[in-house]
Amino acid sequence: MTEPNPELDPIEIEIIRNALVSAAEEMSVTIWRTSRSSVVREILDYSTSVFDADGRSVAQAARMPVHLNSMAACLEDLIAHHLPLEDWHEGDIVITNDPYSGGQHLPDILTFKPVFADGQRIAIAGVLVHHLDVGGGAAGSYYANATEIHQEGFRIPPLKIDEAGWRNQAVIKLLLANSREPANVGGDFASQLAALEIGVRGLQAIARRYGIAKLAAAGRAIQDRSEAAMRQLIAGAPDGTYRFEDFVDDDGIEPGKPLRIAVALTVSGDDLHVDLAGSSGQAAGPVNCTFNMTRSAVICGVLMALGGGIPANAGCYRPIAIAAPEGSVVNARYPAPVANRMAVGHRVVNAVMGAFAAALPGTVPAAYYGVSYAYALNAQNADGSRQVYFDLECGGWGAHPQADGANGFSCGFHNIANSPIEMIEATYPVTFMAYRLIPDSGGRGQYRGGLGLAREFRLDAPSGSFAANLDRFRIPPYGLDGGEPGRGGRLTLRRAGEEKEEALPSKVAGLQLGQGDILRLETSGGGGFGPPEARDRAASAHDRAEGYVSGPDDGGGASSSCSRARA
Amino acid sequence: MTATQQIAPGAPVRVAIDIGGTFTDLQILDESTGVCLAHKVASVPADPSAGLIDGLRQASERFGFGFDQVSMLIHGTTIATNAVLERTLPRGALLTTRGFEDVLEIGRHMRHDIYASRAEPRGLLIPRSRRFGVDERMRADGGAERPVKADEIPALCDRLAALEIETVAIVCLNAHVNDAHERRVAELVHHALPDLPLSLSSEVSPEFREFERTSTTVLNALLMPVVSTYIRRLEDGLRELGLGAPIYLMQSNGGVATPEMAARQPARLLLSGPSGGAKAAEILADRLASPDLVAVDMGGTSYDVSLIQGGRARLVNEGNVDGLPVRLPMVEMRTIGAGGGSLAMVDDAGGLTVGPRSAGAEPGPACYGRGGTRPTVTDANCLLGRIDGEHFLGGAMRLESTAAGPAIDRHVGQPLGLSSEAAADGILRIAVAHMASAIRLSLFEKGLDPKDFALASFGGAGGLHACDTADELGIATVVFPRDPGTLSAWGMLWADVTHDLAKAALMPADDGADARLGGDLAALRAQGQARLDGDGIAPADRQLRLDLELRYPGQAYEIAVPLTESGGVAAAVAAFHDRHEAQYSHADRQTTPEIVNIRLTAIGVLPKPGRAELEGAAAAPAAPGHRRVYLDDAWRQAPVYPRHDLTADGVLAGPLIVEDPHSTILIPAGWSLRLAAGGEIIASRAAAQAARESAQ
Repeated sequence: MTEPNPELDPIEIEIIRNALVSAAEEMSVTIWRTSRSSVVREILDYSTSVFDADGRSVAQAARMPVHLNSMAACLEDLIAHHLPLEDWHEGDIVITNDPYSGGQHLPDILTFKPVFADGQRIAIAGVLVHHLDVGGGAAGSYYANATEIHQEGFRIPPLKIDEAGWRNQAVIKLLLANSREPANVGGDFASQLAALEIGVRGLQAIARRYGIAKLAAAGRAIQDRSEAAMRQLIAGAPDGTYRFEDFVDDDGIEPGKPLRIAVALTVSGDDLHVDLAGSSGQAAGPVNCTFNMTRSAVICGVLMALGGGIPANAGCYRPIAIAAPEGSVVNARYPAPVANRMAVGHRVVNAVMGAFAAALPGTVPAAYYGVSYAYALNAQNADGSRQVYFDLECGGWGAHPQADGANGFSCGFHNIANSPIEMIEATYPVTFMAYRLIPDSGGRGQYRGGLGLAREFRLDAPSGSFAANLDRFRIPPYGLDGGEPGRGGRLTLRRAGEEKEEALPSKVAGLQLGQGDILRLETSGGGGFGPPEARDRAASAHDRAEGYVSGPDDGGGASSSCSRARA
Repeated sequence: MTATQQIAPGAPVRVAIDIGGTFTDLQILDESTGVCLAHKVASVPADPSAGLIDGLRQASERFGFGFDQVSMLIHGTTIATNAVLERTLPRGALLTTRGFEDVLEIGRHMRHDIYASRAEPRGLLIPRSRRFGVDERMRADGGAERPVKADEIPALCDRLAALEIETVAIVCLNAHVNDAHERRVAELVHHALPDLPLSLSSEVSPEFREFERTSTTVLNALLMPVVSTYIRRLEDGLRELGLGAPIYLMQSNGGVATPEMAARQPARLLLSGPSGGAKAAEILADRLASPDLVAVDMGGTSYDVSLIQGGRARLVNEGNVDGLPVRLPMVEMRTIGAGGGSLAMVDDAGGLTVGPRSAGAEPGPACYGRGGTRPTVTDANCLLGRIDGEHFLGGAMRLESTAAGPAIDRHVGQPLGLSSEAAADGILRIAVAHMASAIRLSLFEKGLDPKDFALASFGGAGGLHACDTADELGIATVVFPRDPGTLSAWGMLWADVTHDLAKAALMPADDGADARLGGDLAALRAQGQARLDGDGIAPADRQLRLDLELRYPGQAYEIAVPLTESGGVAAAVAAFHDRHEAQYSHADRQTTPEIVNIRLTAIGVLPKPGRAELEGAAAAPAAPGHRRVYLDDAWRQAPVYPRHDLTADGVLAGPLIVEDPHSTILIPAGWSLRLAAGGEIIASRAAAQAARESAQ
């Protein structure tokens, strides 16, 4: 596009950038303030973004990278393949949740609204919200046995929910009729649309104050600045191709069959090419990523490896080209199921960082735990009522080339917080037996991987069923430079009144439980860095004194394959 | 200036002393006349109580009062906060439910920097080797799953003794519902080790969420020896002076506590820094009949925003020190890295940023002449003539104005191709944009509109930017209080004894709730009265306020609403629906909310002397001086008024500058200035300007 470039000094650019970030923040605050379900307000599973008139991102409210980098890609897809820009009119709102039209998984509903001033499109406001339930084979729309997307919930192809200011209530009715949680989803959806309106008003105010031409020029300058900063980081890595592979245990449908994630990272000057050729074909179970999900994971891995202080916008993405073979687990084709896309997504982050470790030795940490340890317990109370207790856990962070990995520390890709035990116990028929670090679970090395976590709880209701979407049981988080892998995760069941523990697989659906049954989840530790023999003696002694590592002091760390943690 | 004002002979005086890192500020109130006098001395970081005694001696000589005249001494101290920040803490141990010894270390495991490849350091206050599991388990419904295994405790006490433990935190799961196990453990430990200070979570912070409660209780335990020692030393020093008046310590909740209480619950002194300022803002709001105020404090490195709504400072129930959660009521504050020392820099891609990095006090801004070469907000103000380098901080410091230009040219002007003036002006515009955003978001997240608020500007660096910030927000009135340099101490003069008590009471807020709450309410009231008995507060001076914290079932956060004797739970529920609607834009009036906590605020009202009005207004202000200032893209001669020359009548139109001993106030074009009865400067935006802004 050729627009006259108005006189714009760097101060105005910074002030307009600040205003655009504020507009995204105000949308974000609106959702937090007006949404109904606790998933949205407490777990903060939503994101807001501001795009330029052509749909390229200029500002975001910092939430989860897994969302942010994908919203931009989704909008690009919509414009390129479904709804060309000339069809975006004042008063329209475009909506989709379809992984095969640029989305990631069905609970994430994306909405975009073009912003007009003086009859001209000046920007697009975007909001993504993870909704509590969009139907499908299991509550919460996480159906571990799904083998096609139609079992995962309702699909919304790209369409206009608002057209020239007229809202299509029939579509909303149709969607809510297919949700198990119509009140919550309806409330959250209303807040999502309200946030778009706040964004539109904020952006119009910026255009009035600084002028449309200056707003556009500032948007370009902001993207150019981020691109330049990104290119400088890339240029810091020596030219060459760097390869790495990591694996997902299985897809839950074909147990014991690992899925390969292969990454070839090519640095040439200030360009980066990431090719995932060689990755496994798409899986039968719901661990697949669509291309946009893979893209988010790659960009997150790149920023974690290179340092992420750059204002995130379309400019950051320009120097990064990504290729993934069609029909693979990292670029799944319709109708592959995708609900538990995080299993592969985390592994893409692990693999990209592993490749960077070769490109930039001494700066990238060993593998972190590498999965969203998600589980749900559907309890049936004596009075016939049901309650779903859903939780997420993390594990140990990978050892850094100059520091031990943190014990039980969330990866920024999903950046989760744990749920307080006292809150869970006050709400659900569950009693916790333990929540603690697992000694010896961090990979040995000159620097030790962070420890995984153990969470053990008992069902107090007469009966229930249990589902889990876990990983890293069989293929543990890798170590680097001679560091050993972290210990893998595990899940065990002890039936009421029995001593014997039964090991469960990483993917569980519909496991029947009785009163007094105890489940114990152990998450994976992080990988170690550097040879264990090189570990500082004082650090080893400290590990033992504090019980991070058990056993006698042999001058190094303990064996990573050592037996179960003891209090 | 005229001769130093004096305290009336024999008059009772109230003294407030606020100890900061650099200065110890004093405010002396003559209770017979209502006149307040300010004094400042250098702090003595090695022994803060010595700085306090110094200040008292000096003030007594300067203002002519004897220590026997002192009727009350109110003291704000950072001793607790500093001990945590510098980790000068005793050796503590944690006794907790077996299986949950690592809760303190795991925390909530969320990260703050999304992309950091190296994990953020965690402030671990008690290492794993000093966290001990006790065989016991209390259930969430208050029933015991497993009793305390008492025969294990003696061996545990032997270990505590062998490890030379100096203080102990006791945290049992679900102790906020039933504290019996914590009390039992405490009793057994006390029996074996009678001199060991004990902190029980059910006494310090009886609220659910085990990590936050544990963190708060551990902080309390580690601070008990620190604060007791400090208070003992302070009381000894004051006794030597012959000062026998009651002493109160400022807490984070905006009220004060007796030394006995502060020594038992020292975690309540953490984050008390904003309390004096918030109290001052409340008094200002009251005096100026302006109940809704945004109070901003711009210092060297940070910009703090707090809110006065309906005449009261907004409190929150949780804050943190150095990343460690403190689950106690405290004044709400949003802080961003924007201060006089904030660094301006051009990044590799040619973008100009201001803050959050700061030049700090050393080397400080380039114009401090202490070796700093990077430009800061203060350098920009200096270059543009907005501050008088010859008389910075009332002449306490001379700025090297000539150092500001080269720093700005080299790091901002030349890389961006801007003149010195344009570069400096740009730095200030960006700083103002950040400050305005912080205020806008503070209000926006509560559903409030800046246009309904006045802005109160505290802090040395704020006066230069307050009107510009107000312009950005559409705020039409800005207040500059008297004695901004000792404002926090001034606010403390008016504080009351305040206890916060809480009781977990998870139940539906239905028709039967009043009856079910009865016992808990009576117990809480009795506890509050007992606390005030201990403080020696006369019955007539007591106020007990009850609040219920309610939520819709399934929500994870609560809203506090008043519980009155006449209205009962039904009125509280109605108020909850309304508040929910106002704050979150929707309410489920058909749904019965649930009660989570009962909160009792027990207040011992301290006597409030009358206030002095501004002394008799003189005629027109003395003719102002002038200085060259860069304003609205040009150099102009702006009038400069010493603050003490301003008089109560008359209105002055901007642009103009007011010089105060500790700060400079800039009133831009389009704004006018008058003086309020208490000596506060009130700046108002001209109507035409206001209309232009609101049209935007």
